[in-house]
Amino acid sequence: MSAEHHHHSRIDLAAWSKSLILFGLGIYLAVLIFSGNLTNYINLRFAWLAYVGAGIFFLLALVNLYACLNPRRAHSHHHISWDNLLVVAFPLLLALLIPSRSLGVEAVSGGIGLSTVGVESASALTRSPLDRNILDWLRVFNRASSPAALNGESVDVSGFVYREPSMEEDEFMVARFTMSCCVADAYPIGMPVRSSLAGDFATGAWVRVGGEVRAERFQGEFAPMIQAETVAAIEEPAQPYLYP
Amino acid sequence: MRIDQPKTASLAPLKRVIFVLIAASVLGSALYLALRTGDDLYLTVSVFATRFLGIFIEAVPFLLLGSLTSGLIETFVKTDDILRFLPKNRLGAALGGTLLGLVFPVCECGVVPVTRRLFRKGLPLSMGVAFLLAAPFMNPIVFASTYIAFGFGGVLVGRALLTVLVAVIVAMVIGSFADPREALKPTSAKACEECDHHHAHGRPGLGAKLLSAMQIGADDFFEMGRFLILGSALAALLQTFVPQDSLLALGSGPIMSVVFMQILAFLLSVCSTVDSFLALAFVNTFSTGAIISFLSFGPMVDIKSTLMFTGVFRRKIVLYLVLLPFVLNLLAGVLINVALGY
Repeated sequence: MSAEHHHHSRIDLAAWSKSLILFGLGIYLAVLIFSGNLTNYINLRFAWLAYVGAGIFFLLALVNLYACLNPRRAHSHHHISWDNLLVVAFPLLLALLIPSRSLGVEAVSGGIGLSTVGVESASALTRSPLDRNILDWLRVFNRASSPAALNGESVDVSGFVYREPSMEEDEFMVARFTMSCCVADAYPIGMPVRSSLAGDFATGAWVRVGGEVRAERFQGEFAPMIQAETVAAIEEPAQPYLYP
Repeated sequence: MRIDQPKTASLAPLKRVIFVLIAASVLGSALYLALRTGDDLYLTVSVFATRFLGIFIEAVPFLLLGSLTSGLIETFVKTDDILRFLPKNRLGAALGGTLLGLVFPVCECGVVPVTRRLFRKGLPLSMGVAFLLAAPFMNPIVFASTYIAFGFGGVLVGRALLTVLVAVIVAMVIGSFADPREALKPTSAKACEECDHHHAHGRPGLGAKLLSAMQIGADDFFEMGRFLILGSALAALLQTFVPQDSLLALGSGPIMSVVFMQILAFLLSVCSTVDSFLALAFVNTFSTGAIISFLSFGPMVDIKSTLMFTGVFRRKIVLYLVLLPFVLNLLAGVLINVALGY
């Protein structure tokens, strides 16, 4: 009972902060949807989740706002502590302070995969060589009867530049993160590239690589090495991840 | 006798000061880093932020749905209704609990506020525990996503059987030695008589009831949301600093592959509605037993749900809720591998 008296006697700052945080989280999700930055975080197959989330946040925020404005008709049943409010506001603070970015080369820890992830997709096998992305190439390569089966096919892929100390000066890897659900399961894959232009591109830069594929031993296993004819700097694509 | 008042757990004054200091230093360093784009530390923080926000954005809609459901239960379901339909014995209650998920379709983020609310409405401990562990799989959405990913076959059937089996065993064990008062935190235990009374004599209209349901939902979101956020932050930290490959190297053989996949399920904390698609990524690398254990254990226990458990159960019970499913799923996964001659 005493707690309720306390609520009615003065403006309830915690209740107002609650509404503010709920509105803030709703606005944050809406901004992600409209700016296209949502692709930095989740597989767009699950984009509807963000719509549902934003909708419920706005609904709850409005109800709480109504309760703040009409404390007699709809008072909150219990008080929420400040440290609790602060923890729930943490995602908002992080989103405000740190500009939205997709996972790039600095998120690679422990090397880049050369094998495919996920189920073999039939569409990857029927796609023409120039339309294949890195994931398609690795899938086709791993399914091929022999490593040399794809030798001479034309390739045109984009990704970010990744290097390891063991690589030669004219080598790098063109890499992408694959993502099934959200960044929690993001996994980097890539194709090795050989090019005389390799030195012009910084690690982490986004590039489009054109050339021919030739199977070569790379880090102890056969990989579809791109013998590059062109390497061009590009902007980070609107959908930075590949979806298996 | 101590009277347990339903109020939000808050920190003691000294802890509060420490908390504010830590929060201030985190904020201060974040601000500092935001102004110094480009250096290594900044990039690491930025990777952490992306991973954390990704897990949060994917999980939070499910927590919101669970909180709304909890609010609706509080306002529209009477305690008597629940007590009337209860099976009389413990095994019946545990089995019934595994099927409750079909009534309340929630994933592992949404299930915690709903379970807590049902406990407050007087649901028996064993039924609630079975519901808590099984519901994140035993619901139409997750059936569908598992079916889409794996088709109808060993993985889907194995996942269903193992989930029910483990949930029932854990529920029976916990139900056999603990009663609700000692297992649950005061905020989750059955509400006092006076509260029912309070609801019984005012007869608010539908609008007022919905309004109240949404306010309770919002309160639940804040109470459970902090555990979701701390858990997501912990998972993101681990992913940022522990390379997945270092674990991959350890995970071979019929036993270690299962151990590895269960640890991965715990660390990744991916929502049960989408974890089948993630498991697909490991089909070629890991044993079938490991995949099934991953799919059964992951929805029961992970970093964020463990933290959310601590908001409902006392510490000792949380320990049982984490370790028992781990051991039972591990046993089952290894047996499946042996049976398949892996």
